[in-house]
Amino acid sequence: MRTALIPAVLLASASLWGASGPQLVTMPGKSPLVTFRFVFLTGSASDPAGKEGAAALTAAMMAEAGTRDMTYKQIVDALFPMAASVSRQVDKEMITFSGTTHVDNLQAYYKIFRDMLLSPGWRKEDFERLRDDAVNYLKVTLRGNNDEELGKEVLYTRIYAGHPYGHENTGTIASLQKMTIADLQAFYRANFTRSNLIIGLAGGYPDSFPKQVVSDFSKLPAGPPKAVRLPEPRPPKGVRVTIVEKDTRSVAYSIGFPISVKRGDPDYPALLVAQSYLGQHRMSGGLLFERMRQARGLNYGDYAYIEYFPRGMFQFEPDPNLARRQQIFQIWIRPVEPANAHFALRLALYQLDKFIKEGISEEDFERTRTFLTKYVNLLMKTKNAELGYAIDSRFYGIGDYATYVKTSLAKLTREDVNRAIRKHLRTTDLDIVAVAKDAAGLKKQLVSGEPSPVTYVSPKPKEILEEDKIVERWKIDVRPEAVTIIPVEQVF
Amino acid sequence: MVPAIALVLLGCVAAFSAPAAQKVFPYEYDQHDFPNGLRLITIPTDYPNVVSLYIVVQAGSRNEVEPGKSGFAHLFEHMMFRGTPTYPPAKYEATLQKAGAASNAYTTDDHTAYHTTFSKEDLETILGMEADRFQNLSYSEEDFKTETRAVLGEYNKNSANPASKLYEVLRDTAFDRHTYKHTTMGFLKDIEDMPNQYEYSRLFFDRYYRPEYTTIILAGDVNPATARALVEKYWGAWKRGSYRPEIPAEPAQQGPRKNHIQWPTETLPWIAIAHRGPAYSDQQKDQPALDLISFLGFSESSDLYQKLVIQEQKVDVFGADTPDRVDPYLFTVLARVKKPADLDSVRDDILTTLAEFKDKPVDPERLDKVKKHLRYSFALAMNNSEAIASIVARYVALRRTPETINRLYAVYDSITPEDIQAVAKKYFNENNRTIVTLTGGNAQ
Repeated sequence: MRTALIPAVLLASASLWGASGPQLVTMPGKSPLVTFRFVFLTGSASDPAGKEGAAALTAAMMAEAGTRDMTYKQIVDALFPMAASVSRQVDKEMITFSGTTHVDNLQAYYKIFRDMLLSPGWRKEDFERLRDDAVNYLKVTLRGNNDEELGKEVLYTRIYAGHPYGHENTGTIASLQKMTIADLQAFYRANFTRSNLIIGLAGGYPDSFPKQVVSDFSKLPAGPPKAVRLPEPRPPKGVRVTIVEKDTRSVAYSIGFPISVKRGDPDYPALLVAQSYLGQHRMSGGLLFERMRQARGLNYGDYAYIEYFPRGMFQFEPDPNLARRQQIFQIWIRPVEPANAHFALRLALYQLDKFIKEGISEEDFERTRTFLTKYVNLLMKTKNAELGYAIDSRFYGIGDYATYVKTSLAKLTREDVNRAIRKHLRTTDLDIVAVAKDAAGLKKQLVSGEPSPVTYVSPKPKEILEEDKIVERWKIDVRPEAVTIIPVEQVF
Repeated sequence: MVPAIALVLLGCVAAFSAPAAQKVFPYEYDQHDFPNGLRLITIPTDYPNVVSLYIVVQAGSRNEVEPGKSGFAHLFEHMMFRGTPTYPPAKYEATLQKAGAASNAYTTDDHTAYHTTFSKEDLETILGMEADRFQNLSYSEEDFKTETRAVLGEYNKNSANPASKLYEVLRDTAFDRHTYKHTTMGFLKDIEDMPNQYEYSRLFFDRYYRPEYTTIILAGDVNPATARALVEKYWGAWKRGSYRPEIPAEPAQQGPRKNHIQWPTETLPWIAIAHRGPAYSDQQKDQPALDLISFLGFSESSDLYQKLVIQEQKVDVFGADTPDRVDPYLFTVLARVKKPADLDSVRDDILTTLAEFKDKPVDPERLDKVKKHLRYSFALAMNNSEAIASIVARYVALRRTPETINRLYAVYDSITPEDIQAVAKKYFNENNRTIVTLTGGNAQ
């Protein structure tokens, strides 16, 4: 990997932007493709109160709307023959604009990309279209079409209620309906500053190109770096359950609680091993997958996370540049048949409890460590991802991510993992979100604590049946007042 | 062997001088047939250390010819993870983990693909283990039944999305006899009956998991001679089969068809307008011309997209697709409409645009832009070894060679405005059309 972290100040005269100019991450190479990542260290955590969604809608007005000199149609027409586009991603503390062009079209593409970020057009018709898109994303896509992502996002809003992370990045329907172009312009001026910007460039660009880009983006206002103050999230006492009620075939679950561990922290490598062993995303080797799907056929898959990972049903690897100062531990249980819903929840928590108490075996530890040591290379298989990880490493104050993972895993012991899981993981003081049709029925089951025996379409081995006898009576201490039923029309 | 991402298309710039060829698929590759019918395609790339393996079986939901057996190709993809005597599931998983591998599989109408990306030093281990499961898969009836419930879970998680239902009903309405009538997931009633179909699952494996249906693709940091030797060693003894399915031919459509879905909860309305189209071809102009029409008429830069999405803002999801299939399939224009009252006017706008392709030749300059777009899209997509193997897999499923990509792009280049008009006249007729709409909640 040829990652060059070059302070912008070395590339041109300091007078162009001052000491707080944009930071630059470059990966020059011989590829005929050139990849850009412009990452602003701001996001939905900076949305003003009552203006939830300002960050996301501002980013949309930059990436999917006209500039001062070009209408959106002119931009689309110009980019079309290049097969190029500008993508945006908005999270709590990062807003990313990325794109790739063939080097043939580098200057033409860059000029448009640059103007989209530096001179947005703020046209009313673009605003109305993009605000409609945002409202429909919440109303139709999340509430209506994807029970799994719905559950995950509701989980975050529950865990972070009253906290800058407490609203879905897109905003709320009420706040979006009140939003004005002036609100977005104010957000833009306050947050899209050069001191908040990290520029990533990779591929076969000319030697002089980074200097040109830095010079252009140094025209952004300096502005003080804006780090929003993040209070400690306050998890519930005991088990808090939120049931989102909607007409759906099955029951989707997300379970989680805040953890005080992020990339670069001493226990990160240990928890990385723990989450991989428990439920590596979309892989069939995890403990939860094995016990819930492989052995029992309860659903399509079951996974565990220590970092935010949206859109997981559509992709195998996480997107970079979703870096956060605060993370949660999460279990994702894919939709289960309503008849097995109580049992499936018990099984997931039982497995987690057993894992915390018994820890990881030496053999499983070694295998998981070997896996992660090699798998980290696959996360950076494209230049775009490699750039993204390098920028995240800046955020977390660590070196190259692959090197960080490999060297810290090499020093890790099984005891480190078992100590870390006892310290950071738990089966109480957590949130459970279920998306279900019969919310009252599910609440009744959960609160009653009655046994929830499961039935199978085929005979099961003795070992499974014996475990089932424990699981079907596994105590999840849910008090009636700790269960909230929300009709789907009322979330977000 | 020239690692050739630098020798890419369109002349390039001076820094990447002297392109050896103008082929859109720029990689040199080694294509080798073994006596048992198995084909190996090895594509060395300049991305270091990693190898991506795609095993493509030319059997998908198209092959589900018996009534009541829809969804079986996909179910079988799940069964392939149920182990062999040498590699029971736990050992299989442990081996993948030791290789740091990312592994998964997918099923389509025409093919099923098993893919694994891993460090190059594990090539022999992975090839050997995959050879074992393709030849010695062994699962109990109990495991089979358990897995059918995971498939039901997959259906359930998809069922929240109205677009899944729209496609299910579109195919069911547009086709009468061909197996494209059902989706790859299959009909719900067949999925629910899957636990009773253990014997059929063995038959499916025996028919299609054979070397003559299978192509192995290796892309990345890999040497073709080594790859050939390893495939010979582990896959050479695999026995050729004899089964040839009779896929029912679809009779010509005799008149327009329509259908409507009333979605139980509130959602935005959808409309799908489909015309029966041709099969994939890298020789005939029909399917490539329809690809070009999908961009000319319905992509983000098209006049109709600009009108409906950007200016009038009646529609928020819009596009056309004409997937490459072994047998004749559908050219479909799809729109999600913001207000139910606009459904009819959106339908009329789409039909008018389709008719315009019949009435007059397209602007040659605009046609050139679309061709350029396709070439650059293709180049931009090949940005790592896994992506290269994945793209090749899609074409291998159709013609068993990456060369079909170069032939296809040569056909694109040859298409004139007059060809576009002729193809539009051939396919965009009312008798060939199916329209499906979906509305939610109380909207009709």
